[in-house]
Amino acid sequence: MDKKAYKNFWVHIEHSEGKIHSVSLELCCEMRKLCDLSGDKLIAVVVGKLPAQETKKLLDCGADGILQVSGSGYERYNTEAYTNLYYVLCRKYHPSAVMIGGTVNGRDFAPRFAARLGVGCTSDATELIYNAGTGDIEFVEPAAGGKIMAVITMPVMRPQIGTIRPGTFKYAPAGKKEQTELLHENIDFDPSLIRTERIDFTPELFDPALDIAETDCLVCIGAGVKEESLPKYRELASLLGGKLGCTRPVADSGLLPYKLQVGQSGVMIKTKLYIGFGVSGAVNHVTGVSADKFIAINRDASAAIFNYCDYGIIGDADEICDAMLASLKT
Amino acid sequence: MLKILVCVKQVPDVDMMKMDPDTGTLIRSGVPAILNPLDANALSAAISVKEKYGGEITLITMGPPKAEEVLRECLAMGADRALLLTDRAFGNADTLATSYSIVSAANCLDRFDLIFCGKETIDGATGQMGAQLAERFDSAQITSALLIREVDEETGKLVVDRELENGVETLRVSMPCLMTIEKTNYPARIPTLKGKMRAKKAEIITYTAEDIPGLDRTRIGDAGSPTKVPRMFPPVMPEPGTIIDEGSAEANALKLISIIREG
Repeated sequence: MDKKAYKNFWVHIEHSEGKIHSVSLELCCEMRKLCDLSGDKLIAVVVGKLPAQETKKLLDCGADGILQVSGSGYERYNTEAYTNLYYVLCRKYHPSAVMIGGTVNGRDFAPRFAARLGVGCTSDATELIYNAGTGDIEFVEPAAGGKIMAVITMPVMRPQIGTIRPGTFKYAPAGKKEQTELLHENIDFDPSLIRTERIDFTPELFDPALDIAETDCLVCIGAGVKEESLPKYRELASLLGGKLGCTRPVADSGLLPYKLQVGQSGVMIKTKLYIGFGVSGAVNHVTGVSADKFIAINRDASAAIFNYCDYGIIGDADEICDAMLASLKT
Repeated sequence: MLKILVCVKQVPDVDMMKMDPDTGTLIRSGVPAILNPLDANALSAAISVKEKYGGEITLITMGPPKAEEVLRECLAMGADRALLLTDRAFGNADTLATSYSIVSAANCLDRFDLIFCGKETIDGATGQMGAQLAERFDSAQITSALLIREVDEETGKLVVDRELENGVETLRVSMPCLMTIEKTNYPARIPTLKGKMRAKKAEIITYTAEDIPGLDRTRIGDAGSPTKVPRMFPPVMPEPGTIIDEGSAEANALKLISIIREG
């Protein structure tokens, strides 16, 4: 395969009800930076109609072009039509990379069209580096539960395909390019080839306690916290005007619901104040936390969390929590 | 009879892994190898289907000979037979090469109506295997399957709930169908004593690359893997934060509260 014949970085634009998903905009901003280094064009691929003000957002992120795709089969997300679409588009346009938001649906079709093309796919990189020497994108991602960082590349095959979790990159539009192009493709997909039929949809009931992505204060508990202590952390969170979250081991044990799992494979959070009790500080967890003030309490002085915090206390989580409660209630 | 395939993997217990601070590499020796936790949930879902509609559950895994351990563990939980795909030629495979290898082997053994996978592994954690296996099986796929409501062998359809970010969609889907299972409704099964006895004696079907007619050697192992890992490095540790040490838990808590209130 001649790598040089493959040009431009694509971003799949996920959208619903006329709004672009935040992860697609974040990806456009990040890929813009890589394009500036590599000389590739940034192309936003939009399937279906998008209101003008949303299209403008893509241009503001510095997209060099928008590939607008129309056709039948895309009204409701389905694996078959989206897999076929990207298979067909990649065979025709030969992009060097296709980046897709790591949403439930993005993670559904990205690996599948990669397999159909016979090329590589990575998921959940936390950093993207353009290597000018090799011309490859280096996907840097935590491995082995975050104990080590692995650099993944696709040195031979193109396109390079990756899914990236929402919240990994910042939405910081670089500004509109002087010249932009609008491409159009019509690809119809035979509806009889769609193997799923949606017979019902139950929207999730909104529970404010489970909506932790943007809260002023997050009290986060780790595996070091016992079940019987849970009420005091709830109380602390409520006294501080915040919410309760947890690490993966806590969610895995069933103590708290998955919706409260903070980190790359859970919820990426943005908060003014983060207080971690008995949290060890695995990379997958801390990369999911963006906090103005980061506080950690852990018994183990060598816990990695102390490297990420602004302030730390080496001590028993329950004792500190009790003392904070006592003080806050007087 | 429903033919059910469950894909499992033996993985290092990453929670037990430590990093060598001198070399910056992972210390692999002495780390226990376990059944990937979410694969137990996938097996549990398969068993639930079998309990209600009947069928035969086949396990498949790829790995070193030692990976037989997780097959026996799953047999003890309620699977009927197991296939181990083991050969150095399969080593160093990424998800693309692995999906090709697994599907080539499975197709040698049988035609499957339902294929179950865990949502992701704790070691690679790509979550890509389900979709790539489904592509190779040319089957439908339901990733993030929450609940299997109905299986109708006669019409070849099933009804499955799928978990999305904003709710749950109920899909009617045609077989063959691959599902990656959310753990919520399918807790891991506990091996019974009888199951353990049976698993101990069970014969594990073992395939090497030779045993799969027409296997394309350029599509397996390292050669068949478009993704490479040119290097690994320890996570960059920022400088430690300020440690509060005022002498007692109460004093530390007070100091902390004053820091929080600084705005």
